[in-house]
Amino acid sequence: MQLNAPVRPAASRSRLGAAACALIASAATAVARADGGATTQLEAATLIYGEQNRTDVVEPLLRITRVRPGGQSLSAQIGLDVITGASPTGASPSGKVQTTTTPSGNVETTSASEIPTTSFEDIRGSLDLDWTRPLGALVSPALGMHISREKDYQSLGANATLALSLLHRRTTLTFGGGLNRDRVFPIGGIVEGLTPVVATGGGGGEGVEAAEAEEAASTGVIAADKNVTSALVGVSQVVTRRWLVGLSASRTVEDGYLTEPYKVLSVLDIGGYPISSLHEKRPSSRKRTSLLASSVYHFGIDVLNASYRAYGDDWGVQSHTVELRLRHDLTGGDRWVEPHVRWYWQHAADFFRFSLNEGDPLPDFASSDARIGSIRTATLGAACGFRLGSYPGEFSVRAEYLAQWGDGHPADAVGVQRTLDLMPPVSTGSLMLGYSVGW
Amino acid sequence: MKVHPARELAVALLLAALGALASGCAATAVKPWDRDLLAQKKMQFAPSPLQYSIDQHTYFSREGSTGGLNVGGGGCGCN
Amino acid sequence: MAFLLPAGAIRPPRHRGRLARLAVALIPALVAALGALSLAGPAFAKTPPATGRKAPHFALPTAHGTVDSDSLRGRIVYVDFWASWCDPCRRSFPWMADLHQRLGRHGLTIVAINLDKDRKAAEKFLAEHPAPFTVAFDPEGKTAEAFQVPAMPTSFVLGRSGEILHAQAGFDPARTAALDALLKEACSR
Repeated sequence: MQLNAPVRPAASRSRLGAAACALIASAATAVARADGGATTQLEAATLIYGEQNRTDVVEPLLRITRVRPGGQSLSAQIGLDVITGASPTGASPSGKVQTTTTPSGNVETTSASEIPTTSFEDIRGSLDLDWTRPLGALVSPALGMHISREKDYQSLGANATLALSLLHRRTTLTFGGGLNRDRVFPIGGIVEGLTPVVATGGGGGEGVEAAEAEEAASTGVIAADKNVTSALVGVSQVVTRRWLVGLSASRTVEDGYLTEPYKVLSVLDIGGYPISSLHEKRPSSRKRTSLLASSVYHFGIDVLNASYRAYGDDWGVQSHTVELRLRHDLTGGDRWVEPHVRWYWQHAADFFRFSLNEGDPLPDFASSDARIGSIRTATLGAACGFRLGSYPGEFSVRAEYLAQWGDGHPADAVGVQRTLDLMPPVSTGSLMLGYSVGW
Repeated sequence: MKVHPARELAVALLLAALGALASGCAATAVKPWDRDLLAQKKMQFAPSPLQYSIDQHTYFSREGSTGGLNVGGGGCGCN
Repeated sequence: MAFLLPAGAIRPPRHRGRLARLAVALIPALVAALGALSLAGPAFAKTPPATGRKAPHFALPTAHGTVDSDSLRGRIVYVDFWASWCDPCRRSFPWMADLHQRLGRHGLTIVAINLDKDRKAAEKFLAEHPAPFTVAFDPEGKTAEAFQVPAMPTSFVLGRSGEILHAQAGFDPARTAALDALLKEACSR
């Protein structure tokens, strides 16, 4: 039996979590200062990113900051995210070679081990505003706002931060809170989790029937909301003339529709061959905790930025992240290079599974999204910055290579799935071009 | 048996933070005029908010973790 | 620690609630402790020498010789502690140059004491922000220590007998009116 992937586009890469976005802006504002006495700072960057056989992204961003002599600052950041390519549907590889004849008469072959993907394209626009107004020398409150919109997703957020300087400004305490309201309105509406995905074949008659069946399975709801509340507390300390350390803890609570509307799971027969698909289902609340320890140390010419983050949530996802950046200024002072390495280890959510077995009772929740699976990511990159002659501002180029892999041979794999790699490594290359100028 | 590394680390890191903070009270603490190195832009936790934003976005879209946000501090301590 | 074990390893049950409560209780305690420390007495919160007290003596090198605070008796002295890496200092220099222009011949002497560890950085700053007044160099910060400078920049107004008339931490170009008035009044006495 031939099964095609669902007609719907796969989940968009750019589904940015509200809390992450909301508090990033405010935390960054806490240190927002124009350089060398400049009162206006402009920063532009474009990211060009490509996953091997998967997603491609082009993301231009622009940020303008204006600082008044009293310390008050306002910054605006606008961004565009153009995403195209293919994304895994969550279904299992078919286990047999399949040939399809397209309407134009071409014959396409799908290998037995290929992870099913579906192509999509989307454009996301975002706007962030941040305002800081120091009260005296030691207290600095900040407010921020975020809005973003793409074809099937919208996010609105607000956040507030308070920074206190203590102990002769060697210690800074930061408190922050954020609220976000996201709305997802997937094409085809909100479908009940763990209900069958109707196979869509080629040809008019089948397509119409499939669409009607799909509509019946759908709850009839077009959009669903997600509320995110987050809190952050942090402390940073100047330990020596060369060394700054920081520690922060954040807690985020999400409520509402947290399922990926386009992701599915395959139902396998005894031989391990997929015979049908079910829509995935995730809990309607998620409580996340994360702790970050960071250190910046000046060796005289080089600066080492090291950080470690521990994360856990009530879905069972746990992770560790270690990141190192070494900034090296080249003689002459106008140029620098910065190698970068990041290592990430993630333990899967409790309800993560590669597939479901025919005849087994349905679990409460299930998802085969690698994003909440047991994965490891290693990043290696290098950046460099330079000026061009007497032209104002600084240019930067950053190239990164990312490899992500997981355990694709789980012990409980069934039949033909035992012979397949269920989480093949994915390589990604990215290039970021930047320009920064102040006046 | 679920283990939450974040909660386990809370006590250990808080104690480390207290230790680091205690160092700030010492007589050898950094003077206001000794902040020449700290005043450099590269001595911030996230020198470029734009680059930081891009990184967070990239990793959030492929990994299941959030948070771990840098806070303010350091700098020249001026005004 | 248990989290270092690979996923899937058998782990003993943990009292998660207790640790979490302890951590949550420690955070406000930490905040309270820091708050108390910041308000604590002389050990932690040094204040600049109180107005009215005698200013510490200093003798520092300048570009063309030395400057000795004893030789400045009889004049109103504006002592400013600055460094090339201090942003507000960039805005204070044009104001000080203007001050020198207006009140120099009415008995005001400006001494801008540089605290850069790297002399070249100071010279680069001076090339961009001309200083018609006296610039002295204190790279080891001994004079700054004697004056108990609390932040960068800090300025002191010294009377004709070397007593401190006014001390100010920070510089805001929009708030110089009060200082202008004070200096004008001191010079006219």
